[in-house]
Amino acid sequence: MLESLQQLAGGFGIATTVPNLFYCLIGAIVGTLIGVLPGIGPIAGIALLIPATFSLNPTSAIIMLAGIYYGAMYGGSTTSILLNVPGETASVITCIDGYRMAQKGRAGPALAICAIGSFIAGSIGLFGLVAFAPPLARAALAFGPAEYFSLMVFGFIVLSNVTGTSLLKSLMMALIGLIIGTIGLDPVKGDARFTFGSMSLLSGIEFVAVAIGLFGIGEVLSNVEKPAELLEGKVLVPRLRELFPSLEDLRKSIKAILRGTGIGFGVGLVPGPAPVIATYASYMIEKRISQHPEEFGQGAIEGVAGPESANNAACQAAFIPLFVLGIPFAPPTAILLGALLIHGVTPGPMMIKESPELFWGVIASMYIGNFILLLLNLPFVPLFANILRIPKRILLPLVILFCITGMYSVNNSVFDIWVMLLFGGIGFMAGKGKFEGAPLLLGLVLGPRMEVAFRQSLMISHGDFSTFADRPISLAFLLATALFLVIPIFRLGLKRLGKGGSPKGPAPIN
Amino acid sequence: MLKQLSAILIVLFLAGSMPVHAADFPTKEVQVIIPWAAGGATDLIFRALGATAGKYLNKAVVVVNRPGGGGAVGYTDGMKAKPDGYMLTAAVTPLCILPHQTATAFTYKDFEPILNVVSDPSMFLVRSDAPWKDLREFVDYAKKNPDMITVGNSGAGGGVHLVALAFENAAGIKLNHIPFSGGGPSVTALLGGHVNAVSVTPPEGVSQIKAGQLKIIALFADKRLAMFPDVPTVKEQGINFTMGMWRGLAAPKGTPQDVIQKLNESFKKAMDDPEFQARAKEMSVILSYLGPKDFGALMARDDEFFGKLIKEMKK
Repeated sequence: MLESLQQLAGGFGIATTVPNLFYCLIGAIVGTLIGVLPGIGPIAGIALLIPATFSLNPTSAIIMLAGIYYGAMYGGSTTSILLNVPGETASVITCIDGYRMAQKGRAGPALAICAIGSFIAGSIGLFGLVAFAPPLARAALAFGPAEYFSLMVFGFIVLSNVTGTSLLKSLMMALIGLIIGTIGLDPVKGDARFTFGSMSLLSGIEFVAVAIGLFGIGEVLSNVEKPAELLEGKVLVPRLRELFPSLEDLRKSIKAILRGTGIGFGVGLVPGPAPVIATYASYMIEKRISQHPEEFGQGAIEGVAGPESANNAACQAAFIPLFVLGIPFAPPTAILLGALLIHGVTPGPMMIKESPELFWGVIASMYIGNFILLLLNLPFVPLFANILRIPKRILLPLVILFCITGMYSVNNSVFDIWVMLLFGGIGFMAGKGKFEGAPLLLGLVLGPRMEVAFRQSLMISHGDFSTFADRPISLAFLLATALFLVIPIFRLGLKRLGKGGSPKGPAPIN
Repeated sequence: MLKQLSAILIVLFLAGSMPVHAADFPTKEVQVIIPWAAGGATDLIFRALGATAGKYLNKAVVVVNRPGGGGAVGYTDGMKAKPDGYMLTAAVTPLCILPHQTATAFTYKDFEPILNVVSDPSMFLVRSDAPWKDLREFVDYAKKNPDMITVGNSGAGGGVHLVALAFENAAGIKLNHIPFSGGGPSVTALLGGHVNAVSVTPPEGVSQIKAGQLKIIALFADKRLAMFPDVPTVKEQGINFTMGMWRGLAAPKGTPQDVIQKLNESFKKAMDDPEFQARAKEMSVILSYLGPKDFGALMARDDEFFGKLIKEMKK
């Protein structure tokens, strides 16, 4: 630990040279822009800039490329809050309360709390990275297919009712998500399922298309339905002093930020859809323990602060398996791995020993980068908040245009645009019946991974189902899931008893 | 105004339909379709090669990612592109696998080979503390315990899965194949002890081998790897089996021969350029130049090989 701190100090020496500060700044700016634009994500952004780093030394190159990755996590919530358009998986949940806040004229505090929460989470996450990386990486390896499956089941059941409205409607939407997730190539046999001979459906339904459709396009459609005078009058334009969070906001948010950081860092170590699980879990916990749960869904600042912090902490945690094991657990770290290899650095067990100046230099640059991002993002808040001053009759068509171009940039695919528009219609209709989009997206993300883990487990155990119960971590998740399902039934029973009706007799009629 | 506009359009149309001459090729940037998402091995190699090849073509080389359908979407687009040499496609082993698995619009015959760039040998890795010291012990154990050794691969029906199936046939053993979503997750599962072995191509697993966590138990290369000169090939040990993944460049069928020639020369020069050589070495990929004719022959050979293998698998 002491030795780590000494080396970290050396890292700061490397990261604070003028060229490295410059590349850190460039990475942070590009990352913020990529995060703000829906569609184009950190993966494409990093890939496009890799050739530009060929002439740099490896440390500077990775400082810049890593900056793009965590920088994108800062900007990702902007369109969620302002336009209800989630730019990537991690910012779906932010739409729920962030967009409501913006509608109430509180876009400024929402955007600012995202930047502040991201900064706190990023800084704490980095401390975790420095202090505990090797043991945490070993712990992450304990997750095999069986453990992974049980975790997914737990996440699916517990998180599907994330907004806490109607369990039945949430589970219905989550199941639809599961079904949509089966479209495409069978992940185990490689056969085409539900593709109807279409080449475009072979790779499945693109998550971002469904997310932007359900939330962004759906919201535009429901706005279009409203009478013109109501539409233009609805948005309250923020006054300058309301642009930044009040002390009351900060007081409410700080605990949510700290809890979100813890959840995000823990979940971030698990391979796969960590940002989704982390943000959903953080939102749900904030709502459950809140003194005023009725504010959630109506613009509660904790519902923005918690998930956004969770998302950033998960992003920092994702560097642990990359640096310590040399294995990327998520697509953005996979492309960073590629960039490291091109520069002749092989991440993995030997990296800290073989290239300490790179490892510690990059870690130190992340502290600096997080600070730069905070300074960079706060001044943008008034600018972005003013977007809402644009009259809706001009803003809404622009949002559609923005969604279409953003969507195309993900896979350069016109088919994805049609999928997005289709789900826009579905989102509009679902909203009328008070069905929510978030559980559907959860099902879509977890479903395919749950299926793969389930079938892998059974292939390894030759069809023996006891493999899920034999492994302690897996068993723990399954028991927790069962408890979650049983406790409400018990509570219901106790309530009935408490009301004084004898178990045998009919319940009293009020 | 309208007249002028239509005149311009006609001129543009005529210019577009004029035959291509290699003498002035290329007059604009050359695009390379990568049928996978950005950041994979193929993507990284062609981004590095493209950056260098631009010097010799005097025009930029732009990489376009068209992922989907395990590569099928990108190859369909590549096949449909205008055969003028401005839209090329990365020709990688799945080009000879996909058409046998699903009804694709393309086969390797819809492309003109330009050159092969990389040939990576396949290999099986196990943990350093695995109970098998060498290939013989591994095969003996597998013979005595059919279907018990679990072998991870990067995806069902993908290259390294098929290699593992073909090796079963060659060695006369039966393994339990577990698909993962990519080489990274399969290596993770091996490190965590959730599978017994994995089928991979470099650079997957290389850093773990160097760190002494994993070892190569079977190397399906023609000759030993420069990186690990102590690891014998399976051929040396009496099992006549070599298999690897190739990554090259192809143009749509019907591209004029002189344009193919020009592209071949420029990309060959880029391959020999010290700048690209250094990058390839750092990525631990094995450069293996083949001209249009030899590359075409290699594609034909593997297409036949995988066709047979998949037919047997589907029985």
